[in-house]
Amino acid sequence: MFSGGLTACFWPIILVLCLTRNTYILPVAEAIWLTIPSSGTKCVSEEIQSNVVVLADYYVIDENNPDQIPTISARVTSPFGNNLHHNENATHGQFAFTTSESGNYIACFWKDGSHKQDSELTLGIDWKIGIAAKDWDSVAKKEKIEGVELVLRRLQGTVEAIRGNLVYLKDREADMREVSEITNARVAWFSIASLGVCIVVSVLQIWYLKRYFVKKKLI
Amino acid sequence: MMEKIWGKTWALMGLVLLNSVSNVSSLSVTVNDVECVYEYVIYEGDTISGNFVVVDHDIFWGSDHPGIDFIVTSPEGNTVHSLKGTSGDKFEFKAPRNGMFKFCFHNPYSTPETVSFYIHIGHIPTEHDLAKDEHLNPINVKIAELREALESVTAEQKYLKARDTRHRHTNESTRKRVIGYAVGEYILLTLVSILQVIYIRHLFSKSVAYNRV
Repeated sequence: MFSGGLTACFWPIILVLCLTRNTYILPVAEAIWLTIPSSGTKCVSEEIQSNVVVLADYYVIDENNPDQIPTISARVTSPFGNNLHHNENATHGQFAFTTSESGNYIACFWKDGSHKQDSELTLGIDWKIGIAAKDWDSVAKKEKIEGVELVLRRLQGTVEAIRGNLVYLKDREADMREVSEITNARVAWFSIASLGVCIVVSVLQIWYLKRYFVKKKLI
Repeated sequence: MMEKIWGKTWALMGLVLLNSVSNVSSLSVTVNDVECVYEYVIYEGDTISGNFVVVDHDIFWGSDHPGIDFIVTSPEGNTVHSLKGTSGDKFEFKAPRNGMFKFCFHNPYSTPETVSFYIHIGHIPTEHDLAKDEHLNPINVKIAELREALESVTAEQKYLKARDTRHRHTNESTRKRVIGYAVGEYILLTLVSILQVIYIRHLFSKSVAYNRV
């Protein structure tokens, strides 16, 4: 249905979207805004399993003085401490990586020392993982689908991601149940052992004192 | 021919417009005193839904932590939604108007807490939107509803995952406590009994005995 006329009308579409507040219409630029304090760092983190695509985009928002936008520095660390992304003195940046280990991924931002103002600045972060980070435009081009079919493919991708998340939650619950049962067994054994330690120690005490008093000829 | 091309263009734009709903991943933030997150709501009447869980709270003493407060402020400054003293909850309400909404977490205590939150703003085209743009089909409404339903399932999963993370922290802490406190108890017991024996020996030592009588 849309095949023929689209390529000719690519530019008007982009122009209109650019003019009509496209930062909130094109899915690329959706984001949450955070305030970065004038001193100290602001960190956001997420616990991500391994083999997941992470795509993030951050930009400084300053409506007060658009000529001199304050700059920030950013650092992204993996749960093992590896530095995945480092950027200094920038007003915007992006990073993308595929997680190799599961754990807490932390992205920290702080204000650069070059700006002496004491004000907080606003940072917009667009953080997408997994199915949300998938490039649907390339899928549409590759498989030559568009319109309703593309939307339904996206929904199918979401459903598959839901099923994957369920399996992950199930595995995590199984791990936790194992830890709980081990702790349960340990509580029982350690309590019995503490009773045993009590008895053994008191028997040793009495035996030693008796031997001592016999040696000292008191009894 | 040109009208057909422009018609298709507007229809495609309509589809792009409808299916670009705001979505963020579930991020965790450390709340020392107040932490605010801002998100822009495009259309009035959009459903703002989400959840948050205090993941790493002070589990050292007492399970009756007062929790944190969650307050949502509209662009005009009115409090639209507030939850007090919880350690995690879901929320859903309709945006009274479009604009920049502020989602704030207040920590009444001095110990920093890590909060994992997820905010989703969903838009379903109404009959007004359908009437405005003649190229929007009712199928777009159904697709938007389906998408919102799937997003709500995903939101529940993120909530479960955050709660599971908190439960795992509690479990790990319990495991460490069981071993630590048990071994500490044994050592303390042995130490105390040795001290008892030494003290009794001291009471019966010659120097003390001579000072009696």
